[in-house]
Amino acid sequence: MTTARIIDLQLRLLDRQVIDTDGKFVCNVDDLELDVDEQGTPFVTAILVGPRALGPRFSGRLGRWVVAIATRLSEDRSTEPLRIDYRQVTEIGNVVKLARTKAELGVTPLEEWVDSRIIARIPGSGHAPE
Amino acid sequence: MRLSDLIDTPVTGTDGTELGFVIDVRCHQDGPIRGAMQTLRVHSLIVSRTHVGSLLGYERRQQQGPWLIKILVRFLHRHAFIVDWDDVEREGNAFRLRASAQPRPLPE
Amino acid sequence: MSKLLNLALGVLTAIGGFVDIGDLVTSGVVGSRFGLSLAWATILGVVGICLYAEMSGRVAAITGRGTFDLVRERLGPRAGLANLTASFFVTALTFAAEIGGVALSLELVTSVNYLLLVPWIGLVMWFVVWRVKFTYLENTFGILGLALLAFGVALWRLHPDWSNLLHQVVAPHKPGTESLQVYFYYAIALFGAAMTPYEVFFFSSGGVEEKWSKKDLAVERANVFVGFPLGGMLSLSIAAVASLVLLPAQIGVSNLSQVGLPIAVAGGKILLAFSLLGFVAATFGAALETGLSCGYSVAQYFGWQWGKFVSPRKAARFHLVVLLSLLFAVAAVLTTIDPVKLTEYSVVFSAVALPLTYFPILVIANDPDYMGENVNGRLTNALATVFLALVIIASVAAIPLMIWTKAGQ
Repeated sequence: MTTARIIDLQLRLLDRQVIDTDGKFVCNVDDLELDVDEQGTPFVTAILVGPRALGPRFSGRLGRWVVAIATRLSEDRSTEPLRIDYRQVTEIGNVVKLARTKAELGVTPLEEWVDSRIIARIPGSGHAPE
Repeated sequence: MRLSDLIDTPVTGTDGTELGFVIDVRCHQDGPIRGAMQTLRVHSLIVSRTHVGSLLGYERRQQQGPWLIKILVRFLHRHAFIVDWDDVEREGNAFRLRASAQPRPLPE
Repeated sequence: MSKLLNLALGVLTAIGGFVDIGDLVTSGVVGSRFGLSLAWATILGVVGICLYAEMSGRVAAITGRGTFDLVRERLGPRAGLANLTASFFVTALTFAAEIGGVALSLELVTSVNYLLLVPWIGLVMWFVVWRVKFTYLENTFGILGLALLAFGVALWRLHPDWSNLLHQVVAPHKPGTESLQVYFYYAIALFGAAMTPYEVFFFSSGGVEEKWSKKDLAVERANVFVGFPLGGMLSLSIAAVASLVLLPAQIGVSNLSQVGLPIAVAGGKILLAFSLLGFVAATFGAALETGLSCGYSVAQYFGWQWGKFVSPRKAARFHLVVLLSLLFAVAAVLTTIDPVKLTEYSVVFSAVALPLTYFPILVIANDPDYMGENVNGRLTNALATVFLALVIIASVAAIPLMIWTKAGQ
């Protein structure tokens, strides 16, 4: 038997909350990217985020529709989802912890859009209620 | 490839009979260090005939209540097994067990 | 603040915050037609919500996350999305009903037509969500909701035959004028009114807002096991006074003023004023809770930053969802649909959605990965499994009974 930690990807990693180095919620693990090493064994290389990652997991029209809309609205017009490299992961527990801040990761474009175009324009949005 | 490409892939026996589909991918954290931690390398596949209840963990852990739900989930997954990655080969859209494969029942 | 004061505040807030428009209307209607012969349904509902609220509060204290957060992790994204869609629909419907309730209550106070009040209520509500600190919000409306104790006082003032009332509760007897299917339809309605889905999700998200940790478990349990049952007694007293005043006079409850009529009969303008304050506080507080719950559930499913504990700019999508839900709820009420009818529908649909809410909580509270050693004990699990079965029965029977009895005619 192995002494290495055993992680079942769907049970323990997929759909988990991802938090940044400040403890703020970033996203969920919408899918995982795997690459193959020299021995032919796949290994996890990145966390995939957003509707272009989550959409394909829904079968049928709903999934394709979500991916199509997200592709149309994205900056790079590609069907490739947003990506957090595995090197940023510092801990896998109840939540997945990352080494960077939300702003540095750049995987929440919708949040930034809603923030700058709508929320920031409303007075009082800049500080927590006291 | 994505994890979602592996999940749901049908798994067939050496003679081609359908045994179920992949419901989870078991990794060992024994790869080279990348960033802060060792990488997760795929070690085995967990195969069953249904997804229902597979995320609740009952078929893989010993103690977990409530009793009724545990019984139901274990029943649904009574044919589930785990097989090493090296013991399967890709055949079209499915995985086929190699002749040398030794599938093991859950929980391990 | 001293620990004891904190505890008392929590319990009082739980009592005053328990009753919402669903409880007000359903208890009033049931009391006026069935007396206290359906008290068992309310009591059952209160036990159920105590059980499950304790679990969801424990989840928040131990994991620092709301229970809806964990629904996707434990049910998968597809079942989670189905759950989200149904929960969101029911919560938004309840939100609209609560806003209707606030408007009706204020109409009783100001004599201004309730439709004219709705936009202003929406504006004030949004402002409170935007700027008022979560704890102030909860505590203020919880304490003000205690004004509904006017119903308890009224009950005492009406000099009821206490042994008769008790007999109706412990030995329920369906009135001959009502059919069996209507009896059970209202049993399910009372059940749904006591065990509203948003309540458990809100309780755990609120726990995260208030930064509960393991050492808050005792306080959390006191809130639930003392506060909620006493709040349930308020619901029963609303039914009891209706049974004493409205039932003998064959007065039905089709609008909010009839719910308060027994108070007027029991005597005193002051008591009536308290009851009106209670109506406004309870419905406004519940509207805030449902509005926030609309945001919590969507944000938690997708993993977005949520909550009032960060600035709105840091939880932009969450606040947008709450704002859009508010606009929807206001628009729904402005369609001039009867707010009392809207409330009755929201209560029945809540009953339908109950298994979706309660099953994930039961599973998560048992998961050692999240809860460590604080998983459910055997007794809790046994009771919770029984309630899950009850909830499934109620959910399956709700719509057919609603159709069969034409919503309780």
